[in-house]
Amino acid sequence: MADASVEARDKLQDAMARLANGERAALEEVYRATKVKLFGICLRILGDRKEAEDALQEVYVNLWQRADRYDPSRASPISWLATFARNRAVDRLRRGKVRQGAVELDEAASLADSSPLAEDLLIDAERSERIHCCMQELDDNQRRNIRSAFFNGATYAELADKAEVPLGTMKSWIRRGLQNLKACLERGE
Amino acid sequence: MSNAERTDDIIAAEFALDLLEGEELLEARGRIAREPDFANAVDGWRAQLAPLADDIGGIEPPIGLWQRIEGALDNAPESGAEIIALKQRVQRLQWFAGVSSAAAVVALAFLAVPSPKVEPTAPPVTLASATPLVANVPIAGTPLRLDMTYLPDQESLIVTAVGLEADGVHDHEIWLVPDEGDLISLGVVTPGVVRAHSVPHDTAVQIANGSELLLTREPLGGKPEGQDAGPVVASGQLIQI
Repeated sequence: MADASVEARDKLQDAMARLANGERAALEEVYRATKVKLFGICLRILGDRKEAEDALQEVYVNLWQRADRYDPSRASPISWLATFARNRAVDRLRRGKVRQGAVELDEAASLADSSPLAEDLLIDAERSERIHCCMQELDDNQRRNIRSAFFNGATYAELADKAEVPLGTMKSWIRRGLQNLKACLERGE
Repeated sequence: MSNAERTDDIIAAEFALDLLEGEELLEARGRIAREPDFANAVDGWRAQLAPLADDIGGIEPPIGLWQRIEGALDNAPESGAEIIALKQRVQRLQWFAGVSSAAAVVALAFLAVPSPKVEPTAPPVTLASATPLVANVPIAGTPLRLDMTYLPDQESLIVTAVGLEADGVHDHEIWLVPDEGDLISLGVVTPGVVRAHSVPHDTAVQIANGSELLLTREPLGGKPEGQDAGPVVASGQLIQI
């Protein structure tokens, strides 16, 4: 299992390096290896299948144009790609809000966090465990809202609205949460 | 409850989580452009937070999606343009009344003349030479300016927006004022960076020495389809150097 995981990560790392050199075939490899995970992320954030499909397309087209921005010394390829996809989806969400009104957070949140993935092999288990463990140490308000920001692309104002608390309270919860998270992550290093 | 101290590191985390809006977002964007340490802190948070995405279940995308991506790649420039979705949008503009800047008044005077709705019929025009054209566009009411360089042989507009002020809920959209017909979008400015905007060939042939460019303030992502364009905040001319 561990070997398979290392092998899967190395393969993706290699494809990303070839992609940065402009090798088109490498993009298809990256797509095959990551599409299920990244589509899950886009759908979770956007809460709409059509939007998520467009976002996913945008993710890989952008990736082709900007693959040289991936720095292997900073993040594992799957982490970087997950963040890349999340950021693209949040950008799209914000644009969509201007045009169509906000996507209901509940709608996005109601999508089940489901099946284990083939892509799970790509996850850097140690690093992943640390952040999850540190999230558990936060109090409920801190954890719930930091998660909601990450998973739903919600701003401070939206989170405050949803929780029916003043904006200042929400900022205070999240800032404390982030400080605690940082302290916990540093302890683990 | 006392407020948690808002250190640079916390601001970086807030930015990485897309929590910020308005002035705060604008300020953070500016700092990413200017302060490598701050940009590093943002990247650091993104890397730390990324494993949270492991909780999101995977979902198989539709089978035809790879073909769509390949199709988009075939139509996309090799690199440097992330404005594919926007660049082809050639839209009729109706200007808000009450636009205030001097640049806008000039633009309005120009635009008030109803322009004939002539579709460019594949003009066999080519720019006389491959000499770059440059425009230096000061932004009204700010000490900032936008530098734009058009490279005819590459049909590419290099937009230097380092230090550009955006307010976090708006983007700035660049428009070419063609000799005739409606304004043509050249894409949305990305604050804080130098970016190449690929110009479609049909549009490229309409760019010449002296071409006028306008900058409008729009919602994030650019002028919404079917809505009026926002106010003109700057204008300039592309001049051969």
